[in-house]
Amino acid sequence: MLKNVRIWFTKEFECKYISHLDLNRCMLRAVRRAELPIWYTEGFNPHPFVTFPLPISLGISAKRECMDIRIVDDDFEISQIPELMNPLLPRGIQVFDATTPKTDAKFITFAEYEATISVDGMTATELRESVSALCELECVTIKKKSKKGMKDVDVLPYIKAMDFDKSDSENCRLSVILPAGNTKNVALPLVFKAIENHINKEINYDIVKLNMYTEGMEEFE
Amino acid sequence: MIFLYSKEVEKILLKVQKPGRYTGGEINSVIKDKDKVDLRFAFCFPDTYEIGMSHLGMKILYSQFNSYEHIWCERVFAPWTDMEELMRERNIPLYALESGDPLTEFDFIGFTLQYELSYTNVLNMLSLAGIPLLSKDRTELKNIVVAGGTCVSNPEPLADFIDIFFIGEGEEVDIEVMELYRKCRDKGCTKKEFLRLAAQIKGVYVPALYDVEYNEDGTICRFQPTEGAPARVEKRLIMDMDNVYYPDSFVVPLVEIVHDRAIEEIFRGCIRGCRFCQAGFLNRPVREKSKETILSQCKTLCENTGYDEISLSSLSSSDYSDIVGLLTCLSEWSDDEGVSLSLPSLRVDGFTDDIMSRIKTVRKSGLTFAPEAGTQRLRDAINKNVREDELLKTCHVAFSGGWTNVKLYFMIGLPTETYEDVEGIAKLGQAVVNEFYRCENRAKGRGVNVTVSASSFVPKPHTPFQWEAQNSIETIEKKQKHLKESITTKKITFNYHAAYTSFLEGVFARGDRKLCKVLSKAIERGFHFDGWNDCFDFEAWMDVFKECGIDPKFYASRKREFDEILPWDFLDYGVSKDFLKKECEKAYNSETTPNCREKCSGCGAACYKGGVCVEKR
Ligand code: SF4
Repeated sequence: MLKNVRIWFTKEFECKYISHLDLNRCMLRAVRRAELPIWYTEGFNPHPFVTFPLPISLGISAKRECMDIRIVDDDFEISQIPELMNPLLPRGIQVFDATTPKTDAKFITFAEYEATISVDGMTATELRESVSALCELECVTIKKKSKKGMKDVDVLPYIKAMDFDKSDSENCRLSVILPAGNTKNVALPLVFKAIENHINKEINYDIVKLNMYTEGMEEFE
Repeated sequence: MIFLYSKEVEKILLKVQKPGRYTGGEINSVIKDKDKVDLRFAFCFPDTYEIGMSHLGMKILYSQFNSYEHIWCERVFAPWTDMEELMRERNIPLYALESGDPLTEFDFIGFTLQYELSYTNVLNMLSLAGIPLLSKDRTELKNIVVAGGTCVSNPEPLADFIDIFFIGEGEEVDIEVMELYRKCRDKGCTKKEFLRLAAQIKGVYVPALYDVEYNEDGTICRFQPTEGAPARVEKRLIMDMDNVYYPDSFVVPLVEIVHDRAIEEIFRGCIRGCRFCQAGFLNRPVREKSKETILSQCKTLCENTGYDEISLSSLSSSDYSDIVGLLTCLSEWSDDEGVSLSLPSLRVDGFTDDIMSRIKTVRKSGLTFAPEAGTQRLRDAINKNVREDELLKTCHVAFSGGWTNVKLYFMIGLPTETYEDVEGIAKLGQAVVNEFYRCENRAKGRGVNVTVSASSFVPKPHTPFQWEAQNSIETIEKKQKHLKESITTKKITFNYHAAYTSFLEGVFARGDRKLCKVLSKAIERGFHFDGWNDCFDFEAWMDVFKECGIDPKFYASRKREFDEILPWDFLDYGVSKDFLKKECEKAYNSETTPNCREKCSGCGAACYKGGVCVEKR
């Protein structure tokens, strides 16, 4: 019988700079080398069946990414997957768990991020204040490419949702939960871009995606 | 340590295309503790990551250097223009991928020179690293700039910039020079003393130790060694291919590169002696690895990299003495492991349906042939032993097997070429098309697609054509136009290269030291990536030549006399100048020379006492 398996991994350090396509290649190679009893699609050009519930964009680190595969061997102990795959992966991509999927990928609704931002020539406190100042505005819009051409998006609600509690005078650190998934998706770099346009300064950022949630804010498993 | 590139680099990575090529951190990349090594070597490939990472020579030396505990060899590639711009704007020096350290921290900065149009990238990389370009401006015993590879067969255009050139194969001589450096450093020698000692090592050329005097017409009148440097610099080569170092793993890139697969070198050199082919003469004689070594290295490489494709590398793979035996034993293993074999550089003759079916590149992309010239007369003149009937026969076999794509590679501008020869290219293409329709078992309902690619011939040092005048840009363009008009069928797709780039390639291929100042000026102007159409600016190059008072045609378009002192005459690649002259004269009479296995023609390479020269015939 085919068994669905969800492989959980991190995507950090230099590996945050590889595209989804490259990630896919890297994972496939590791799965093949680890000799996991993986299911191959049938047909003219059989290839291992692998899907990524919510692919991450280039440039963002992730603590809890996942990919789904199907296993053909009933006796295969999926708990060995991390130790089988990790030696075959770069240091920036490490598998920490393999589970039976509980949630369908289509129920992913939110993603939680943490980011450190800075602006050359500005202290962390100043930066925080100028971001907070934007909350007084009526809207903060940015042009975004969509299927129907360019459209304006108001990112103010997401700026308001930013929590700066972890900041100190050295680092401007924020946490935020944004819509993520197939129906609605807000990219944090886009929100930063909107802030950049308003404060007229370039923002350096380091974003870490921490987790994914369903509509009811249950952890995606 | 995980974060190796600097905070400043981190800030720009999201602003450039394909940032994955600037980060390092790939599987099998070698990380050492810099406090525990005592020699650091920055291996620089003067082109993009994707191209450099596909290059076998770099993989071999990277692994070999790192196999010594006290040496840490790292990789450096030329940043693409968007990255360079940001690096310059923010004063970020060029860094090595493993440690993220700037090149100034390295003992050796080594370049591999594979094509002349990368020379500006070599210098631009030094400039990006903040290292003085001229050898004489780098006075301390550190940042020794060295270079190896095909193009050092005429190192003169780079003579002012490079401290040491390695002539021939690098596996032994590079290490000997590094050992000497360690000794000199311990003793507190100056750079000058080190260079003088290095010049005594066979295979080492230190340009600063040679004086060149010119005649009034610009040709060389004297090439004089000083300070005890040898008058002739002999190439180094490895005779025992079974015991020479070969990597047991490759760095597996995180991002897509040009050739993302394992590569197994099966022999060096070429038995053929095509008169235009520089690699064929530089790498004489042919030296093979045994089947057993090849099989075991293939296994190890695939195991350690996870690649499921391996390509067999050589100048002409089907000339491996027992190619059928080799493929039989390899395919037993590869079929079992689900690894696919690819064999670039195949020849038309002597391979069967059986071989073709085992080879992935053939299956995937169709047949590729390089007849190089359109008529038998010209093929004889260049000693390219491809016969039209054999080529058509092989195509016939392939068409019967369902193939519909054929690629044919030619050169235009070859010595003795006439317009009839140029038309011959179109005719040969047409003959392949006709063969398809003559073939009864051809794929039904599908047309044939023949691609004819014509590059322009560039005469290269150490070949029988080293004295020839290169066709002018106008002539090449006329011939290209003529060829285009001679092709009358839509089944043939015609590709050709811009004549401008070949002209510049020709200038640097046979240039002398006077070109150093042209290169200096080119760097001031910000030239780089001349091999890329998006960056190459011919007019700007011509301006630079004019400003330097140098006529590029002197190098490319002038026919040289046999008794002229050529800038590269002092380099000894084992093939005698007499042999090259004889070959050149035979070309004028369209006379062929047998290949090394048919009959030894006494080229001179027998002095190495090995390889094909001592095979039983
Ligand atoms: S000496 Fe003879 S066999 Fe050896 S490389 Fe030259 S031509 Fe070939």
